[in-house]
Amino acid sequence: MLAVLVVLTLAVMGAVFFAVPPAEGLGYYVRIAFFHIPVAWAAVLAFLVSAFFGAKYLKEPKDLYDRYSANSAGLGLVFVILATLSGAVFSKLTWGAYWNWDPRQTTIFVLLLIYGAYLNLRAAMPDKQRRARVSAVYALLSFLTVPFLVFIIPRLYFSLHPSPVINGSGHIDMDPVMLWTLIAALADMTGIYCYLLRRLVKKAGSGQESEAFHE
Amino acid sequence: MNASVWAGTKLVLAKEFRQGIRFKAAWAAMLMFALTTLSCVSLALQGAALSPKLAAALLWVILFFASMVGADRVFLDEEAAGTLLALRVYGGSQPVLFGKMLYTYLVLLAMGLFILPLFLMLLAENVADPLLLLLTTALGLLGVAAAGTLVAALTIGSAVHGGLFSILMLPVILPVFLPAISLTAGALGGEAGSLSYLGGLALYDMILMVGASLLFDYLWYEE
Repeated sequence: MLAVLVVLTLAVMGAVFFAVPPAEGLGYYVRIAFFHIPVAWAAVLAFLVSAFFGAKYLKEPKDLYDRYSANSAGLGLVFVILATLSGAVFSKLTWGAYWNWDPRQTTIFVLLLIYGAYLNLRAAMPDKQRRARVSAVYALLSFLTVPFLVFIIPRLYFSLHPSPVINGSGHIDMDPVMLWTLIAALADMTGIYCYLLRRLVKKAGSGQESEAFHE
Repeated sequence: MNASVWAGTKLVLAKEFRQGIRFKAAWAAMLMFALTTLSCVSLALQGAALSPKLAAALLWVILFFASMVGADRVFLDEEAAGTLLALRVYGGSQPVLFGKMLYTYLVLLAMGLFILPLFLMLLAENVADPLLLLLTTALGLLGVAAAGTLVAALTIGSAVHGGLFSILMLPVILPVFLPAISLTAGALGGEAGSLSYLGGLALYDMILMVGASLLFDYLWYEE
Protein backbone atom coordinates (compact mmCIF):
# COMPACT_ATOMS: atom_id res chain seq x y z
CA MET A 1 0.00 0.00 0.00
CA LEU A 2 2.84 2.35 0.90
CA ALA A 3 4.50 1.91 -2.50
CA VAL A 4 1.25 2.73 -4.31
CA LEU A 5 0.80 5.86 -2.20
CA VAL A 6 4.36 7.05 -2.85
CA VAL A 7 3.95 6.59 -6.61
CA LEU A 8 0.55 8.30 -6.59
CA THR A 9 1.86 11.22 -4.52
CA LEU A 10 4.80 11.71 -6.88
CA ALA A 11 2.46 11.51 -9.88
CA VAL A 12 0.11 14.09 -8.38
CA MET A 13 3.01 16.40 -7.54
CA GLY A 14 4.38 16.02 -11.05
CA ALA A 15 1.00 16.84 -12.53
CA VAL A 16 0.52 19.83 -10.25
CA PHE A 17 3.90 21.36 -11.10
CA PHE A 18 4.24 20.44 -14.78
CA ALA A 19 0.83 19.68 -16.30
CA VAL A 20 -1.80 21.84 -14.61
CA PRO A 21 -2.38 25.10 -16.50
CA PRO A 22 -2.57 28.37 -14.54
CA ALA A 23 -6.15 29.13 -13.49
CA GLU A 24 -8.01 32.19 -14.65
CA GLY A 25 -7.58 34.99 -12.11
CA LEU A 26 -5.50 32.79 -9.77
CA GLY A 27 -2.47 31.99 -11.93
CA TYR A 28 -0.13 29.40 -10.46
CA TYR A 29 -1.51 30.03 -6.98
CA VAL A 30 -4.05 27.40 -7.94
CA ARG A 31 -1.37 24.79 -7.15
CA ILE A 32 -2.10 25.33 -3.47
CA ALA A 33 -5.65 24.10 -4.07
CA PHE A 34 -4.36 20.62 -4.97
CA PHE A 35 -3.00 20.37 -1.47
CA HIS A 36 -5.66 22.40 0.32
CA ILE A 37 -8.81 20.70 -0.99
CA PRO A 38 -7.57 17.13 -0.29
CA VAL A 39 -6.41 17.91 3.27
CA ALA A 40 -9.70 19.71 4.00
CA TRP A 41 -11.56 16.67 2.68
CA ALA A 42 -9.44 14.32 4.80
CA ALA A 43 -10.15 16.49 7.86
CA VAL A 44 -13.91 16.16 7.33
CA LEU A 45 -13.61 12.45 6.56
CA ALA A 46 -11.62 11.88 9.75
CA PHE A 47 -14.38 13.57 11.74
CA LEU A 48 -17.08 11.36 10.18
CA VAL A 49 -15.01 8.24 10.85
CA SER A 50 -14.38 9.31 14.43
CA ALA A 51 -18.11 9.91 15.09
CA PHE A 52 -18.99 6.64 13.32
CA PHE A 53 -16.65 4.58 15.50
CA GLY A 54 -17.85 6.51 18.55
CA ALA A 55 -21.39 5.35 17.81
CA LYS A 56 -20.14 1.80 17.27
CA TYR A 57 -18.34 1.91 20.59
CA LEU A 58 -21.48 2.98 22.44
CA LYS A 59 -23.38 0.08 20.90
CA GLU A 60 -20.68 -2.43 21.62
CA PRO A 61 -17.84 -1.27 23.89
CA LYS A 62 -14.87 -2.79 22.09
CA ASP A 63 -11.43 -1.31 22.59
CA LEU A 64 -10.73 -1.44 18.88
CA TYR A 65 -13.58 0.98 18.07
CA ASP A 66 -12.29 3.48 20.59
CA ARG A 67 -8.80 3.26 19.10
CA TYR A 68 -10.23 3.98 15.65
CA SER A 69 -12.26 6.90 16.94
CA ALA A 70 -9.38 8.43 18.92
CA ASN A 71 -6.69 7.99 16.27
CA SER A 72 -8.96 9.28 13.54
CA ALA A 73 -9.53 12.42 15.60
CA GLY A 74 -5.79 12.80 16.17
CA LEU A 75 -5.13 12.57 12.43
CA GLY A 76 -8.07 14.86 11.78
CA LEU A 77 -6.48 17.54 13.92
CA VAL A 78 -3.30 17.40 11.83
CA PHE A 79 -5.28 17.57 8.59
CA VAL A 80 -7.48 20.39 9.80
CA ILE A 81 -4.42 22.43 10.83
CA LEU A 82 -2.86 21.85 7.42
CA ALA A 83 -6.11 22.83 5.72
CA THR A 84 -6.43 25.99 7.82
CA LEU A 85 -2.83 27.04 7.19
CA SER A 86 -2.83 26.32 3.46
CA GLY A 87 -6.18 28.08 3.18
CA ALA A 88 -4.85 31.12 5.03
CA VAL A 89 -1.81 31.32 2.73
CA PHE A 90 -4.01 30.99 -0.35
CA SER A 91 -6.34 33.65 1.02
CA LYS A 92 -3.44 36.04 1.69
CA LEU A 93 -2.14 35.59 -1.86
CA THR A 94 -5.49 35.99 -3.58
CA TRP A 95 -7.69 38.14 -1.31
CA GLY A 96 -4.98 40.04 0.54
CA ALA A 97 -5.75 38.87 4.09
CA TYR A 98 -4.91 35.70 5.97
CA TRP A 99 -8.23 35.56 7.71
CA ASN A 100 -11.63 37.22 7.23
CA TRP A 101 -14.16 34.74 8.70
CA ASP A 102 -15.32 33.60 5.34
CA PRO A 103 -18.03 30.89 5.74
CA ARG A 104 -15.62 28.14 4.85
CA GLN A 105 -12.92 29.52 7.08
CA THR A 106 -15.50 29.60 9.86
CA THR A 107 -16.61 26.02 9.25
CA ILE A 108 -13.07 24.66 9.13
CA PHE A 109 -12.27 26.62 12.27
CA VAL A 110 -15.26 25.10 14.08
CA LEU A 111 -13.97 21.69 13.04
CA LEU A 112 -10.60 22.64 14.51
CA LEU A 113 -12.33 23.63 17.76
CA ILE A 114 -14.24 20.33 17.86
CA TYR A 115 -11.05 18.29 17.37
CA GLY A 116 -9.29 20.36 20.01
CA ALA A 117 -12.14 19.91 22.47
CA TYR A 118 -12.40 16.16 21.77
CA LEU A 119 -8.70 15.54 22.30
CA ASN A 120 -8.67 17.77 25.36
CA LEU A 121 -11.50 15.76 26.86
CA ARG A 122 -9.61 12.54 26.25
CA ALA A 123 -6.46 13.92 27.80
CA ALA A 124 -8.37 15.06 30.90
CA MET A 125 -10.01 11.69 31.56
CA PRO A 126 -7.80 9.29 33.53
CA ASP A 127 -10.10 6.24 33.53
CA LYS A 128 -9.77 4.36 30.26
CA GLN A 129 -13.30 3.04 29.86
CA ARG A 130 -14.89 6.28 30.89
CA ARG A 131 -12.59 8.14 28.50
CA ALA A 132 -13.75 5.99 25.61
CA ARG A 133 -17.42 6.35 26.48
CA VAL A 134 -17.32 10.06 27.17
CA SER A 135 -15.40 10.92 24.02
CA ALA A 136 -17.77 8.82 21.92
CA VAL A 137 -20.71 10.78 23.33
CA TYR A 138 -18.94 14.07 22.64
CA ALA A 139 -18.10 13.07 19.07
CA LEU A 140 -21.77 12.34 18.44
CA LEU A 141 -22.97 15.50 20.17
CA SER A 142 -20.67 17.70 18.12
CA PHE A 143 -21.80 15.83 15.03
CA LEU A 144 -25.31 17.19 15.65
CA THR A 145 -24.09 20.73 15.04
CA VAL A 146 -22.80 20.05 11.53
CA PRO A 147 -26.04 20.39 9.51
CA PHE A 148 -26.94 23.56 11.39
CA LEU A 149 -23.58 25.19 10.86
CA VAL A 150 -23.62 24.30 7.19
CA PHE A 151 -27.02 25.99 6.96
CA ILE A 152 -26.43 29.03 9.19
CA ILE A 153 -22.87 30.15 8.55
CA PRO A 154 -23.15 30.94 4.83
CA ARG A 155 -26.12 33.17 5.65
CA LEU A 156 -24.30 35.18 8.28
CA TYR A 157 -20.91 35.68 6.66
CA PHE A 158 -20.14 37.03 3.24
CA SER A 159 -18.08 34.65 1.06
CA LEU A 160 -15.19 35.14 -1.33
CA HIS A 161 -14.27 31.44 -1.41
CA PRO A 162 -14.23 29.87 -4.88
CA SER A 163 -17.43 27.88 -5.39
CA PRO A 164 -17.22 24.10 -5.11
CA VAL A 165 -16.11 22.10 -8.11
CA ILE A 166 -19.61 20.81 -8.64
CA ASN A 167 -21.85 23.83 -8.29
CA GLY A 168 -25.60 24.15 -7.81
CA SER A 169 -26.45 23.37 -11.41
CA GLY A 170 -24.51 20.10 -11.22
CA HIS A 171 -22.28 21.33 -14.01
CA ILE A 172 -18.55 20.68 -13.67
CA ASP A 173 -16.73 23.84 -14.46
CA MET A 174 -13.06 22.97 -14.68
CA ASP A 175 -10.26 22.23 -17.07
CA PRO A 176 -10.11 18.40 -17.56
CA VAL A 177 -6.39 18.17 -16.64
CA MET A 178 -7.11 20.09 -13.46
CA LEU A 179 -10.13 18.00 -12.64
CA TRP A 180 -8.32 14.68 -13.03
CA THR A 181 -5.35 15.92 -11.07
CA LEU A 182 -7.71 17.01 -8.31
CA ILE A 183 -9.49 13.65 -8.29
CA ALA A 184 -6.12 11.88 -8.11
CA ALA A 185 -4.99 14.19 -5.30
CA LEU A 186 -8.20 13.48 -3.37
CA ALA A 187 -7.78 9.73 -3.80
CA ASP A 188 -4.13 10.03 -2.76
CA MET A 189 -4.94 11.97 0.41
CA THR A 190 -7.75 9.55 1.31
CA GLY A 191 -5.27 6.70 0.86
CA ILE A 192 -2.70 8.45 3.04
CA TYR A 193 -5.33 8.99 5.72
CA CYS A 194 -6.45 5.33 5.65
CA TYR A 195 -2.86 4.10 5.72
CA LEU A 196 -1.90 6.28 8.68
CA LEU A 197 -5.08 5.44 10.56
CA ARG A 198 -4.53 1.70 10.21
CA ARG A 199 -0.92 2.02 11.29
CA LEU A 200 -1.76 4.13 14.32
CA VAL A 201 -4.59 1.82 15.40
CA LYS A 202 -2.32 -1.20 15.04
CA LYS A 203 0.45 0.47 16.98
CA ALA A 204 -1.91 1.55 19.79
CA GLY A 205 -3.29 -1.99 19.91
CA SER A 206 0.10 -3.69 20.17
CA GLY A 207 1.13 -1.19 22.86
CA GLN A 208 -1.92 -2.13 24.86
CA GLU A 209 -1.30 -5.85 24.51
CA SER A 210 2.24 -5.56 25.81
CA GLU A 211 0.93 -3.41 28.66
CA ALA A 212 -1.55 -6.14 29.57
CA PHE A 213 1.23 -8.73 29.31
CA HIS A 214 3.41 -6.83 31.78
CA GLU A 215 0.55 -6.51 34.22
CA MET B 1 -42.44 12.04 28.27
CA ASN B 2 -44.45 9.54 30.31
CA ALA B 3 -45.95 10.14 33.75
CA SER B 4 -43.27 8.44 35.83
CA VAL B 5 -40.44 10.33 34.10
CA TRP B 6 -42.28 13.60 34.71
CA ALA B 7 -42.86 12.72 38.38
CA GLY B 8 -39.16 11.85 38.75
CA THR B 9 -38.15 15.04 36.97
CA LYS B 10 -40.19 17.10 39.44
CA LEU B 11 -38.51 15.30 42.36
CA VAL B 12 -35.03 15.97 40.98
CA LEU B 13 -35.97 19.60 40.32
CA ALA B 14 -37.23 20.01 43.89
CA LYS B 15 -34.01 18.44 45.18
CA GLU B 16 -31.94 20.84 43.09
CA PHE B 17 -33.87 23.82 44.42
CA ARG B 18 -33.45 22.67 48.00
CA GLN B 19 -29.73 22.23 47.41
CA GLY B 20 -29.55 25.62 45.71
CA ILE B 21 -31.13 27.28 48.72
CA ARG B 22 -28.80 25.52 51.15
CA PHE B 23 -25.69 26.04 49.08
CA LYS B 24 -25.91 29.46 47.53
CA ALA B 25 -22.37 29.72 46.19
CA ALA B 26 -23.12 28.08 42.83
CA TRP B 27 -25.72 30.50 41.51
CA ALA B 28 -24.43 33.47 43.48
CA ALA B 29 -21.05 33.04 41.75
CA MET B 30 -22.80 32.97 38.38
CA LEU B 31 -24.68 36.21 39.07
CA MET B 32 -21.56 37.94 40.35
CA PHE B 33 -19.58 36.69 37.37
CA ALA B 34 -22.21 38.07 34.99
CA LEU B 35 -22.12 41.40 36.81
CA THR B 36 -18.32 41.44 36.76
CA THR B 37 -18.11 40.80 33.01
CA LEU B 38 -20.79 43.37 32.33
CA SER B 39 -19.00 46.03 34.38
CA CYS B 40 -15.73 45.08 32.73
CA VAL B 41 -17.22 45.69 29.28
CA SER B 42 -19.02 48.85 30.34
CA LEU B 43 -16.00 50.35 32.12
CA ALA B 44 -13.68 49.47 29.27
CA LEU B 45 -15.94 51.17 26.75
CA GLN B 46 -16.10 54.35 28.86
CA GLY B 47 -19.51 55.31 27.56
CA ALA B 48 -18.62 54.95 23.89
CA ALA B 49 -21.65 54.44 21.64
CA LEU B 50 -22.20 50.89 20.44
CA SER B 51 -23.76 49.80 17.19
CA PRO B 52 -26.63 47.30 17.71
CA LYS B 53 -24.54 44.53 16.19
CA LEU B 54 -21.64 45.14 18.53
CA ALA B 55 -23.95 45.47 21.54
CA ALA B 56 -25.63 42.16 20.64
CA ALA B 57 -22.26 40.43 20.31
CA LEU B 58 -21.11 41.74 23.68
CA LEU B 59 -24.38 40.74 25.36
CA TRP B 60 -24.01 37.16 24.14
CA VAL B 61 -20.36 36.95 25.10
CA ILE B 62 -21.37 38.02 28.63
CA LEU B 63 -24.30 35.55 28.72
CA PHE B 64 -22.17 32.71 27.34
CA PHE B 65 -19.30 33.04 29.78
CA ALA B 66 -21.56 33.70 32.76
CA SER B 67 -23.52 30.52 31.98
CA MET B 68 -20.24 28.63 31.70
CA VAL B 69 -19.54 29.51 35.32
CA GLY B 70 -22.83 28.16 36.64
CA ALA B 71 -23.86 25.38 34.30
CA ASP B 72 -20.72 23.28 34.71
CA ARG B 73 -21.48 22.60 38.37
CA VAL B 74 -24.66 20.53 38.07
CA PHE B 75 -22.79 17.25 38.35
CA LEU B 76 -19.47 18.39 39.76
CA ASP B 77 -21.04 19.50 43.03
CA GLU B 78 -22.67 16.10 43.43
CA GLU B 79 -19.36 14.43 42.71
CA ALA B 80 -17.56 16.60 45.26
CA ALA B 81 -20.22 16.02 47.91
CA GLY B 82 -20.19 12.27 47.26
CA THR B 83 -23.92 12.14 46.47
CA LEU B 84 -23.54 11.11 42.85
CA LEU B 85 -23.65 7.40 43.63
CA ALA B 86 -26.87 7.73 45.64
CA LEU B 87 -28.44 9.64 42.76
CA ARG B 88 -27.30 6.94 40.34
CA VAL B 89 -28.90 4.27 42.50
CA TYR B 90 -32.23 6.01 43.07
CA GLY B 91 -32.67 8.19 39.99
CA GLY B 92 -33.30 6.95 36.48
CA SER B 93 -31.29 8.62 33.74
CA GLN B 94 -34.10 10.64 32.15
CA PRO B 95 -35.57 12.19 35.33
CA VAL B 96 -32.06 13.16 36.47
CA LEU B 97 -31.19 14.67 33.09
CA PHE B 98 -34.42 16.63 32.67
CA GLY B 99 -34.63 17.66 36.33
CA LYS B 100 -31.13 19.08 36.21
CA MET B 101 -31.68 20.61 32.77
CA LEU B 102 -34.83 22.37 33.96
CA TYR B 103 -33.08 23.64 37.08
CA THR B 104 -30.12 24.89 35.04
CA TYR B 105 -32.51 26.59 32.64
CA LEU B 106 -34.37 28.38 35.44
CA VAL B 107 -31.11 29.55 37.00
CA LEU B 108 -29.84 30.76 33.61
CA LEU B 109 -33.13 32.55 32.97
CA ALA B 110 -32.85 34.29 36.34
CA MET B 111 -29.31 35.32 35.44
CA GLY B 112 -30.52 36.58 32.04
CA LEU B 113 -33.33 38.59 33.60
CA PHE B 114 -30.85 40.05 36.07
CA ILE B 115 -28.25 41.04 33.50
CA LEU B 116 -30.51 42.17 30.63
CA PRO B 117 -31.97 45.34 32.26
CA LEU B 118 -28.53 46.33 33.53
CA PHE B 119 -27.03 45.77 30.10
CA LEU B 120 -29.71 47.89 28.46
CA MET B 121 -29.27 50.68 30.99
CA LEU B 122 -25.51 50.75 30.63
CA LEU B 123 -24.89 49.94 27.00
CA ALA B 124 -27.95 49.96 24.75
CA GLU B 125 -30.84 52.14 25.78
CA ASN B 126 -32.88 51.83 22.60
CA VAL B 127 -34.74 48.58 22.21
CA ALA B 128 -36.73 48.36 19.00
CA ASP B 129 -38.41 45.06 19.76
CA PRO B 130 -38.44 44.02 23.45
CA LEU B 131 -40.47 40.88 22.81
CA LEU B 132 -37.96 39.60 20.26
CA LEU B 133 -35.13 40.34 22.67
CA LEU B 134 -36.81 38.34 25.45
CA LEU B 135 -37.73 35.44 23.17
CA THR B 136 -34.19 35.25 21.76
CA THR B 137 -32.67 35.28 25.23
CA ALA B 138 -35.10 32.60 26.47
CA LEU B 139 -34.49 30.32 23.47
CA GLY B 140 -30.74 30.91 23.45
CA LEU B 141 -30.38 30.07 27.13
CA LEU B 142 -32.55 26.97 26.67
CA GLY B 143 -29.96 25.67 24.20
CA VAL B 144 -27.17 26.45 26.65
CA ALA B 145 -29.03 24.58 29.42
CA ALA B 146 -29.73 21.55 27.20
CA ALA B 147 -26.18 21.20 25.91
CA GLY B 148 -24.67 22.29 29.22
CA THR B 149 -26.34 19.56 31.27
CA LEU B 150 -25.02 16.83 28.97
CA VAL B 151 -21.55 18.34 28.70
CA ALA B 152 -21.43 18.75 32.49
CA ALA B 153 -22.14 15.03 32.76
CA LEU B 154 -19.27 14.37 30.34
CA THR B 155 -16.77 16.10 32.60
CA ILE B 156 -17.56 13.90 35.63
CA GLY B 157 -14.37 12.11 36.58
CA SER B 158 -12.03 14.32 34.57
CA ALA B 159 -8.72 15.30 36.09
CA VAL B 160 -8.92 18.87 34.77
CA HIS B 161 -11.94 21.03 35.41
CA GLY B 162 -11.06 24.67 34.84
CA GLY B 163 -11.78 25.61 31.27
CA LEU B 164 -12.65 22.14 29.99
CA PHE B 165 -16.38 22.83 30.13
CA SER B 166 -16.16 26.01 28.03
CA ILE B 167 -13.87 24.33 25.51
CA LEU B 168 -16.38 21.53 25.05
CA MET B 169 -19.38 23.86 24.96
CA LEU B 170 -18.36 26.42 22.34
CA PRO B 171 -18.49 24.22 19.21
CA VAL B 172 -21.77 22.67 20.31
CA ILE B 173 -23.40 25.97 21.16
CA LEU B 174 -22.30 27.94 18.06
CA PRO B 175 -25.55 27.19 16.17
CA VAL B 176 -27.33 28.91 19.09
CA PHE B 177 -24.80 31.67 19.54
CA LEU B 178 -24.59 32.98 15.96
CA PRO B 179 -28.32 33.32 15.15
CA ALA B 180 -29.01 34.66 18.67
CA ILE B 181 -26.55 37.50 18.07
CA SER B 182 -28.12 38.28 14.72
CA LEU B 183 -31.64 38.29 16.21
CA THR B 184 -30.57 40.39 19.20
CA ALA B 185 -28.98 42.94 16.87
CA GLY B 186 -32.34 43.20 15.09
CA ALA B 187 -34.16 43.62 18.41
CA LEU B 188 -31.77 46.41 19.40
CA GLY B 189 -32.67 48.35 16.29
CA GLY B 190 -30.00 47.12 13.92
CA GLU B 191 -30.47 45.52 10.57
CA ALA B 192 -33.32 43.09 11.20
CA GLY B 193 -32.17 39.50 10.92
CA SER B 194 -34.51 36.98 9.39
CA LEU B 195 -37.20 35.89 11.84
CA SER B 196 -36.82 32.34 10.56
CA TYR B 197 -33.71 32.22 12.78
CA LEU B 198 -36.09 32.15 15.73
CA GLY B 199 -37.63 28.93 14.38
CA GLY B 200 -34.15 27.58 13.69
CA LEU B 201 -33.10 28.38 17.25
CA ALA B 202 -36.14 26.56 18.67
CA LEU B 203 -35.48 23.60 16.37
CA TYR B 204 -31.86 23.36 17.42
CA ASP B 205 -32.88 23.56 21.09
CA MET B 206 -35.21 20.61 20.50
CA ILE B 207 -32.46 18.64 18.76
CA LEU B 208 -30.06 19.33 21.60
CA MET B 209 -32.65 18.12 24.13
CA VAL B 210 -33.43 14.96 22.19
CA GLY B 211 -29.72 14.33 21.56
CA ALA B 212 -28.93 14.84 25.25
CA SER B 213 -31.75 12.49 26.21
CA LEU B 214 -30.48 9.76 23.87
CA LEU B 215 -26.82 10.12 24.78
CA PHE B 216 -27.21 10.58 28.52
CA ASP B 217 -28.14 6.91 29.10
CA TYR B 218 -24.64 5.90 27.99
CA LEU B 219 -23.11 8.15 30.62
CA TRP B 220 -25.50 7.32 33.44
CA TYR B 221 -25.59 3.55 33.27
CA GLU B 222 -22.06 2.21 33.35
CA GLU B 223 -21.37 -1.43 33.68
